[in-house]
Amino acid sequence: MSERGGWTRVFRIGVGARHLERDVDQELDFHIAMRIQKLVASGLPHDAARAKALERFGDLRTVRDSCLDIDHQRERAMRRTSYLSNLRQDVSYALRTMHQNVGFTAVVLLTLALGIGANTSTFTLIDALVLRSLPVPHPEQLVTIGDPARVGGLSQGTPRNDIASYPLYADVRDQTRLLSAVYASGRAARLEMLADAGQKEPEHPRGRFVSGNYFAVLQVPAALGRTFSADEDRSPGAAPVIVLSYGYWITRFAGDRSVVGRSVRLNGVPLTIIGVAPRSFPGDIVGQRTDLWIPIMEQPALMPHAPALTDRETSWILMMGRLRPGVTLAQARAELTSIENRSLIENSPTKERASVESNVREKPVQVKSGARGFSYYRRLLAAPLFILMAAVSIVLLIVCANLANLMLARASARGREMSVRMALGANRARLVQQLLTESFLLAVAGGALGVLLAVWGSAALIALTGGAQVDSKLDGRVLAFTAVLSLATAVLFGLVPALRATRVELAAALRAQGRGVSNAERGTGRFGLGKMLVVAQVALSVLLLVGTGMLVRSMQRLQTTDIGVARDRILMVEVDAQRAGYKDARLVTLMREMLARANGTPGVVSATLSENGIFSGTESGTNVRVEGFTAQSDEDSSIAYDDVGPGYFATLGARIVEGREFDARDNETGARAAVLNQTAARFFFPHGSALGSHISSDSLTYEIVGVASDIEGQDLRAKPSRRVYIPVFQIPEKPGHFSLEVRTSGEPGHLGETLRRSLASIDPTVLLNAQTLSSQIEDSISQDKLVARVVSVFGILALALAALGLYGVMTYATTRRTSEFGLRMALGAEPSNVLRLVLGEAMLLVIGGVMVGMPAALGAMQLVKHQLYEIGLLDWPSIVVALVVLGASAALAGYFPARRAARVGPLVALRDA
Amino acid sequence: MADIDVGLMRGTLDLLILKALTWGPRHGYGVVDWIEQATGAALLVGEGTLYPALHRLEAQGWIEAEWGLSENNRHAKFYKLTATGRAQLRTGLSTWQQFVEAASRALHAGASPRTA
Repeated sequence: MSERGGWTRVFRIGVGARHLERDVDQELDFHIAMRIQKLVASGLPHDAARAKALERFGDLRTVRDSCLDIDHQRERAMRRTSYLSNLRQDVSYALRTMHQNVGFTAVVLLTLALGIGANTSTFTLIDALVLRSLPVPHPEQLVTIGDPARVGGLSQGTPRNDIASYPLYADVRDQTRLLSAVYASGRAARLEMLADAGQKEPEHPRGRFVSGNYFAVLQVPAALGRTFSADEDRSPGAAPVIVLSYGYWITRFAGDRSVVGRSVRLNGVPLTIIGVAPRSFPGDIVGQRTDLWIPIMEQPALMPHAPALTDRETSWILMMGRLRPGVTLAQARAELTSIENRSLIENSPTKERASVESNVREKPVQVKSGARGFSYYRRLLAAPLFILMAAVSIVLLIVCANLANLMLARASARGREMSVRMALGANRARLVQQLLTESFLLAVAGGALGVLLAVWGSAALIALTGGAQVDSKLDGRVLAFTAVLSLATAVLFGLVPALRATRVELAAALRAQGRGVSNAERGTGRFGLGKMLVVAQVALSVLLLVGTGMLVRSMQRLQTTDIGVARDRILMVEVDAQRAGYKDARLVTLMREMLARANGTPGVVSATLSENGIFSGTESGTNVRVEGFTAQSDEDSSIAYDDVGPGYFATLGARIVEGREFDARDNETGARAAVLNQTAARFFFPHGSALGSHISSDSLTYEIVGVASDIEGQDLRAKPSRRVYIPVFQIPEKPGHFSLEVRTSGEPGHLGETLRRSLASIDPTVLLNAQTLSSQIEDSISQDKLVARVVSVFGILALALAALGLYGVMTYATTRRTSEFGLRMALGAEPSNVLRLVLGEAMLLVIGGVMVGMPAALGAMQLVKHQLYEIGLLDWPSIVVALVVLGASAALAGYFPARRAARVGPLVALRDA
Repeated sequence: MADIDVGLMRGTLDLLILKALTWGPRHGYGVVDWIEQATGAALLVGEGTLYPALHRLEAQGWIEAEWGLSENNRHAKFYKLTATGRAQLRTGLSTWQQFVEAASRALHAGASPRTA
């Protein structure tokens, strides 16, 4: 070719915007210069030739610009194509590598799936309970009034503002100007439903009493039939209808469209099903199932003996409203607080007004964003879930460290390939991209497997929460979380090895011909980094193991702590006599008859009763005046109280410290008597005996006849509060709900059914529910058990992964030092010396990890100390156990490579090198 | 021929460039030179208009460019035909041929054809 016009190749066309401009300028300059030369040759003077040349060329600037335009476009297209073809190349290269190392790939995918799956499962629950908004239009406009966790709350006595009475709700509804509407929602305790003709055994759906505007405020349309309208609020009993939830319609009525218009009996009252709520709306109570909604005006019909619509002393309602456009939460809070306070103060008896006023000032009503609905489980589980999230994040970090180590080993095995390719001109970014592609592919596949695992994992977690009904569907947010997590994982475990693998000193690597590694690399190279990763894994494991130990021990303390009663021998029977219509004299007769029946049952040591029971979730409080004690504040005169039957303390197993216990003489005709617990006695009578002094409440005065040891009544964690006990037969209004406490001679669980049947034979319409005290207590610490159990599982997983990492690194290190060991042995070292040498190095890594991990563990425990019960921040048993377990696993992980090193014969070692 | 249509002109110019390169690589000036000689300087409005066309053909992959040394030892950008460009030239020529024949038949017709 060079014959024609002397053409020879000089260099390839450069790339990049600056190159493009330079090239175009040079090309056009050349043209002009050639033309000038030609014209000069034909006889024109230079200047004229130049002018002529430019004239013949035309508009230089336009030509230059349009050339550049075309070139830029072309450049972009080329870059896109080359990027895509590189990507295709990298992916197929990565797939080939993965396919060639099936074992490696399987291990990587499995650990990734475990790590990502655990994180996704936990996040699913956090998302469902803590983060997600109600599936209604404009959830951000919703506000809750009251304590959103008290979804099953019911309180009789002093009016309150964490849950409201119906009249208080009516005041708020009628007076608010800043909310466009407010609905009421209250629990419907144990419903009995007969839905089919001839059905004998009633079912117990979970229902809520709601005001007629419930669906209107939430802006939820009916999926079938209609929802409630304002008609349902007109007058009690006027609209005997219900709306079913979609889930209940499907499971109980098999999605039968003809249920609309059908009549069911709830607590004996015929109600017509008028509609089904949409599938997307499971209710406003997050974490609990709602089967059906009943107009609140039906409450008197369904629960005839509880005046819950008119009584200002029956608090059971939570409210939710919508902000008018432009109104802020703070403005609404101010308005609602003043409405509630005014209503509570104005409706209180004159003599209590002062104390009500100070109460509402101290604890104003809670007005919060209602976007996430009401939830009991959110408050219960949020802290445990975040602890769990921390634990599974640590597991994932360990997984990453492990994988980074594996990738590093792989990359260094390919060190020569890399140096050859770089010597041949491959650029480093390109190689890093290629190595990262493999990490990304692994992470994406691991993430996908993790999502599958999470479907199962979140269901298992929900089962462990003991009762929460959580919609654990994998929605877009969860999938986005997993995707981001997987990509971050890939960067974490892929980037450093990829950078390390391509940072090869060319000459050194090429010189080291047959040997995989150069000496220069050993000191600071992959070996050092691998060790650092192991130290990090050990540190993270220490963190998790010490945490696990402390959580487990805290749970054990909770399970065995002395609560002041014989917790293993008590059976409790909840009695609801109110619904069956018992009150006053008939109620007293029933109580006495039940006590007699229980006491006569074989296997029963003694039986008593109380209004609240213990660990039942109900609690009463009151204000008292105590003879000889001057209250400094309102708080000073407040006291928890319970009205109890004869033999209460002996039956439960509490000690009488002073005076006497209640007995048969403390009846309607006996002198009014009271027993204080020790905390109350010490508080009111710091210097002398409480016996013989008087205590008055609700204008009745009782003589203190005894002091009993403290009984932890509701919460194992809480400090015992001041408490006064009054004989149940001496209070003016006997409780329609009460609890029988029965001390048994054997395992109380066996007696439950016998006793229930024997009591039911007195009057089958009275609702009974028997449970052992120990199971009630277990329920109250279920979230502690959940956290301890699940964190233990992840602690063990972390330990196994860290041991695996240590094993990998030590194996790798000893294999590379085979010749060194051979030499040592040739020079007279015993196998035991080599064994000790290698094990010593493994232990050094462990010690390094412990030094980093211990302070981190102690810091982390500081963060969760409110979850721990009677566990100090330096809990030596937990620490020692963690270290022993870790040391043992590390020794095991280090032993096998060490033994292999020690067994190598000197000749073999030297020859192989 | 100054009023020649631009669209027609562009297609024709493309063909001329491809044609100019059939004998081997040329730089832009060489292409201009050839076209001027071959057409008797009738077709180029300004010599500059050739360059966007060259770049466009390069982007289309019909020709490719490489820097080289010119006959007077200067850096110059040389263009040469690619295989696609060669094929394009063949189909372009035959289309152009048909177009010219059809157009000239019409333009030279003695009278408008009568319908029976």
